[in-house]
Amino acid sequence: MSNGTGSRPRILAIDAGGTMTDTFIINERGEFVVGKAQTTPHDESIGFLNSARDALHYWGMSVEDAFSAMVSGIYSGTAMLNRLLERKGRKVGVIVTAGMEDYLRMERAIQTYLGYSYSDRLHIVTHRHNPPLVPRKRIFGVRERIDVFGKVAIPLYEHEVRAAVEQLLRMDVDSIVVNLIYSFKNPVHEQRVREIAEEVMAAEGRSAPVYLSSELYPLRADFPRLNATLLEAYAAEPSREQLQKVRSVTRAHGAKFDLRVMASHGGTISIDARELARTLISGPIGGVIGAKYLAERIGVQNVACTDIGGTSFDIALITDGEFQIKNVPDVARFLLNIPLVQIDSVGAGTGSFVRVNPGNRRIEIGPDSAGARVGVCYPEGGVDTVTISDCNVVLGYLNPDNFLGGEIRLDRQRAIAAVQQQIAEPLGLDVYAAAAGVVELFEDNLKNDLLGRIIGKGYGPENYTLLSYGGGGPLHVSGYSAGLNFEDVLIPTWAPGFSAFGCACGDFEYRYDRSIDLPIFPGIDDATRMHLGAVINAAWDALADQVAAEFAKSGIPREQIHFKPAIRMQYYGQLNDLEFRSPVQRIEDPGDILQLLHAFDTLYAKIYYNAARTPDFGYLATRAIMTGSVDVEKPALPHRAEAGPVPDPEAQVGTREVYWKGAWIATPIFAMDRLHAGNQIVGPAIIEAPACTLVVPPGRKVRLDQNDIFHMRPA
Amino acid sequence: MTHYDKSTIADLVDGRLEWPQLKAMMSNFKDPDRFDTYIAVLQERVPWDDQILLPLGPHLFVVRKADGSIVTKSRSGYEFGDYRQNWKLKARIRVRDTEASLQELYPAMMHCTPGWMELREYIDPLDGTLLEVEAVPPGYPIIHSFQPDLETFYREWLGREL
Repeated sequence: MSNGTGSRPRILAIDAGGTMTDTFIINERGEFVVGKAQTTPHDESIGFLNSARDALHYWGMSVEDAFSAMVSGIYSGTAMLNRLLERKGRKVGVIVTAGMEDYLRMERAIQTYLGYSYSDRLHIVTHRHNPPLVPRKRIFGVRERIDVFGKVAIPLYEHEVRAAVEQLLRMDVDSIVVNLIYSFKNPVHEQRVREIAEEVMAAEGRSAPVYLSSELYPLRADFPRLNATLLEAYAAEPSREQLQKVRSVTRAHGAKFDLRVMASHGGTISIDARELARTLISGPIGGVIGAKYLAERIGVQNVACTDIGGTSFDIALITDGEFQIKNVPDVARFLLNIPLVQIDSVGAGTGSFVRVNPGNRRIEIGPDSAGARVGVCYPEGGVDTVTISDCNVVLGYLNPDNFLGGEIRLDRQRAIAAVQQQIAEPLGLDVYAAAAGVVELFEDNLKNDLLGRIIGKGYGPENYTLLSYGGGGPLHVSGYSAGLNFEDVLIPTWAPGFSAFGCACGDFEYRYDRSIDLPIFPGIDDATRMHLGAVINAAWDALADQVAAEFAKSGIPREQIHFKPAIRMQYYGQLNDLEFRSPVQRIEDPGDILQLLHAFDTLYAKIYYNAARTPDFGYLATRAIMTGSVDVEKPALPHRAEAGPVPDPEAQVGTREVYWKGAWIATPIFAMDRLHAGNQIVGPAIIEAPACTLVVPPGRKVRLDQNDIFHMRPA
Repeated sequence: MTHYDKSTIADLVDGRLEWPQLKAMMSNFKDPDRFDTYIAVLQERVPWDDQILLPLGPHLFVVRKADGSIVTKSRSGYEFGDYRQNWKLKARIRVRDTEASLQELYPAMMHCTPGWMELREYIDPLDGTLLEVEAVPPGYPIIHSFQPDLETFYREWLGREL
């Protein structure tokens, strides 16, 4: 934070969480303020405005003055997710291929244990079906069948459609979702269902929107396709009304920018976008978007992003400047056909519970956590099981009087007593050795996960720059990066607000996917190659038209859009496909197909082994993807004048006894906001800010650069 | 160490726990005092004073009587004799082995084929509570399906003598 007075605010990023709405406002110099206010679920625009006011009062600005100067506003919230979790969505009716009416009751079984730990996955008694979004009585089957090639195998029984629509209307549904088998190959039956539904509605003088899966999510796998389409009707549409309210509030207060929402594919989209369900999960990906942007700015190609919050450790890899996309992610125990930035989440955060397994007397961490209730050291939280934070307090890493800037006081004696009773005694250890053992195990687990992901990509840590953020990242980064030989280890001073910063870094970008399932057999001639190319081009063109149509809603002409065609491909007969940016903008000649295959071969060899390649059987292009983006203003990075390596004497605010590898050492404590660019601090040292603590152990040192980013290196 | 108070265990017995709490209990380490708390809750809910040693089902228990003998006893108070004897032989038994009797429970075509399989319902002679059901081929003997080794269970699992 800073006194941004005199500078014009440029970008507004809002994160409306379940309880608090955070506002992040950045000015043209890269300085920012953060505001907080209670979320107001019945009308989020109230909480939003309060939160923005709270932020702007630090700069002594009125909302009107600030909003009129801003060029970008990004909104991300959990409202849609909550609507889904609380099952408070629209009353939807569903029409599916006859025989498939029980999709939501069977959930392909996998949805009964999504999000569970490995031990619970094996522990069948914990598996449980979710309450369906649509009860069985509002799901109707109609006889029809499109086959795998897109040919009509059984014609649509139109009288059954008519009867289903009539019954749904009698049940007073708000909307109708249609999801027929292989509709992505041939949408003719779904389209006919809509025509019939509209006829029936017209005859009865009614109207309700009809959602076709072939239009919204034309992708293979009918169950995730149904879920995604259903989500659109059930939760996304009511959330759109909330977003429109927020937008009208911004406009009423002088804003000229068009409010955008963070979407799961890693770009921001307009709130008028047709597919809004992809904004369901926007919070956690913010950090990855921020990391990608930061990497571009400071000229780094490969970044390992690590985010430690209260409940989880999230890892994402940016390789050659791009993050990975997951095809069929699961969110809130739903399998969805919505592209999502690939983030691997482990149930290990600072609030994770620590227990001694009475069976084998080993320490177990998580996967459940105290979350915002911190741990035993925070008596008001009502937690009675030891957490990682308790161990950090016991060892002196965390300052009990400066947690969240002193907003919350932690009770160190209480933490010591709990660690003693729950961990140290059962293991026959000294209380401090026990706490240190827990933290070491925690950091080793994180290190192994991180290393596993990087090696799984076919790289080593020495190819990556490690970026650590989130409230707990700086606290543990020295531990989970130790011995991994990363190219560099970066800790931005704004680590706790990095996700919000990331939301402000999102491109204005739409992405559309379509299954094509196109075999490319070996030994084909150029004419066949050109024919295949025409199919791929046609898919890209159709998707590009969709992208352009969405931008048109925001008044952006097609010429301003940068189109980035991509494709997913696999070796014919193998099971996993890989996504990559196409080396050519269009397939213009037979050589372009070969370029596409070559790009796939190279990527595959990087990730798996050369020997696992099976080009002799040909290739399968599974999916065509088109991304289109337009330039938007991004936050400036802070830029500070370089001072010498020695911190000002007043930067050191005290010393504290801290436990380092079995010994108590009087350790200097620095205030983060009193350090200058160029300052260097050799461990052992602790650097404190209101919302984060950077631990520098003996044998490591940090240097603050001009962009307000710490670099950690061996001393 | 995991620990739940008696009222939580009472809610567990009554099926009154919310799913998230139930799931958390399943996923957590077993509370070492669970058995005794559980038995204490059950003991409060039976109309007699004999000490429950082991529950066999929601309405059936192995108990120690005042004279020291150990018997199988139902909630209603009916005693089935020594716990090493097959209690089922002293229960009232209803056999469902016809279409009509099976269709009191199942829709047509959704039940077993009489002649291949039958349902035997073991009923408390005092108050008619259903104590156990088995699905077996006709002619299958009435087997004492669970005969606990109480001494070993108490000594080696609970760490005390019976």
